[in-house]
Amino acid sequence: MKCALGSVLCAAAFAGVTAVAQNSSPQSTSVDLAALEQTAQKRQTEWESLAKSLTERMARILPCDPRATAAITEVSRASEARLAALAGYVRAASAEAFAETAAARNLLTDEQKRALELHVEHADAGQEQTAVEAQSDALAQSAKQRSALEDSQRLLDRIATLVRQRVTDAEQQAVAADEVVALLGDLVAKFDARDAALRDESAAFEAERTRWSGYYAARLARAQTECSITQVGPAPAKRKR
Amino acid sequence: MRPYRFLLGGTLICAAGLIGQTGREAYRQAFEAWQEAQANLEREAGTGGTTLVSKADRAAAAVATFEAARAIYLRSAAEEAGQKRLLLQTPAKRPSPDLAPPAVADLASAELLTVTRTITRFTNDPDRGIQQLRQSLERERAALTALNSSIQGRQKTVAATSERIAALEQARGKTAEAFGDESSHVSEEVAQLEKEGKAWADYYEKLAQAIQLASVLPPVLNAPPAPRNDSVPKIPLARYVGAWTYPTVNGIFHGMQPEFVDLVVHEQNGHAEGTLFGRFKLPSGNATDPLVRFDFEGDFGSAASQRLTLVTSDGVKGFIELIPGPAFNLLEVNFQTDPQNNKIRAGNFILVKK
Repeated sequence: MKCALGSVLCAAAFAGVTAVAQNSSPQSTSVDLAALEQTAQKRQTEWESLAKSLTERMARILPCDPRATAAITEVSRASEARLAALAGYVRAASAEAFAETAAARNLLTDEQKRALELHVEHADAGQEQTAVEAQSDALAQSAKQRSALEDSQRLLDRIATLVRQRVTDAEQQAVAADEVVALLGDLVAKFDARDAALRDESAAFEAERTRWSGYYAARLARAQTECSITQVGPAPAKRKR
Repeated sequence: MRPYRFLLGGTLICAAGLIGQTGREAYRQAFEAWQEAQANLEREAGTGGTTLVSKADRAAAAVATFEAARAIYLRSAAEEAGQKRLLLQTPAKRPSPDLAPPAVADLASAELLTVTRTITRFTNDPDRGIQQLRQSLERERAALTALNSSIQGRQKTVAATSERIAALEQARGKTAEAFGDESSHVSEEVAQLEKEGKAWADYYEKLAQAIQLASVLPPVLNAPPAPRNDSVPKIPLARYVGAWTYPTVNGIFHGMQPEFVDLVVHEQNGHAEGTLFGRFKLPSGNATDPLVRFDFEGDFGSAASQRLTLVTSDGVKGFIELIPGPAFNLLEVNFQTDPQNNKIRAGNFILVKK
């Protein structure tokens, strides 16, 4: 019984997970991105607050006071957390952007096929026009023998006009489709350029991350030098008798 | 108002679902079938007899199927393309530039300034400890200089991304606009096809009338056309005549659900006769005989709906209505018989031409 209940709960949990997985649409992806952005924003605020007050705090601490190195380490860690959150966010945003470019490229392929189809449709319409004109010629001959066919002939001529118009429209559409494909080709090139810029941006953030790390290491080294040359630390705590 | 009228609410999309063809091949096949059906019709119209009337009817049915298949293809292609083009409606993605605010650069430059000033203050101090501190500050300054340069580099890349995205957005808008123009062309083309479809129906109707007249009257030049016999339906006979079947998938019915139905309708001199044989799905435990078989006959009337008398294999009488469906290859059937124990006495469904 217990086992059966467990199975039911398990199945329910699995169903829940499955439902969540099935709902992981682009919308839920953008929710994740929003969460990453929020985290990055939070880490930025935390680091900025610590970094701005570091100089002031250090001014009130003696060089060999352990709080001096602790303060620099704290800002350094906050900086690393900020840059890690930022890198995570930029990576996720870039992934979404790259997916968008892939979709644009697929659209270009589809539209290229569609433009070809429109040219074929134009040719089809031309074939229909030829057929209608042949019908019209044949009926004109028959109408010479049977005057009762004259009304039909007039109707067929009207249809031939409609088909001619459609052939012209089909041609215009085929030309328009070619133009759209050209625009889409340009758009895909712009998507690619945006992606290249994003890659550069991502690499620049990584480089900056290394530089911040280097700076805080140098700052910590200076604090240690200040201590070694002054040997001034906090007063030892008084012992209880 | 008859309750089964809703059956005709199905549009050409329904017809497409029944036939299962939406591609270019479908309308090209329909075009070939039409060309075959109407081959030499106009040439023979000057000399031919009444057999050409049914040829004109077949051609009318074939051109209607062709126009319907092409309209379905156009709509389906436009719809599919529209779905894919949704990409163009959303702005291009990019990371938020607010996450690296100018305050970051300001902080690094302020630190660099402070460190540089301190170094300057200690430049000429001979104290050994101070010299050690100055060296340490110089290493810090080098790190800060590299950091500031790195920040400037990153700012440039962010600006470059913004520029590229602005150009991308401009191109996206322009492309979306061009696609919008193309979509309106598709709507115009479908409207044009509908216009052509009606013109072809009128044409074949007129041609059939003229051929009928020509077969009655001797070939006299410039004779005025007489109206077509009123007893013949205004709708081409091909809409009723032929072999019809209930589709195996997506069948449309009202009341009892058919399992299969086969219908054959013949015409001779405006007189219709035919046979219907079918089996219906019944709820389990129901003792009613699922099979229905009857013959029917009667003259074609001028109305679209043809009501004919039926007699079942058991000798029970009733009537059958044949109603042209929303597409040329669809026929709605409605039958009703006198009451008889354990026998199906009514049915209503749409058949597809074989």
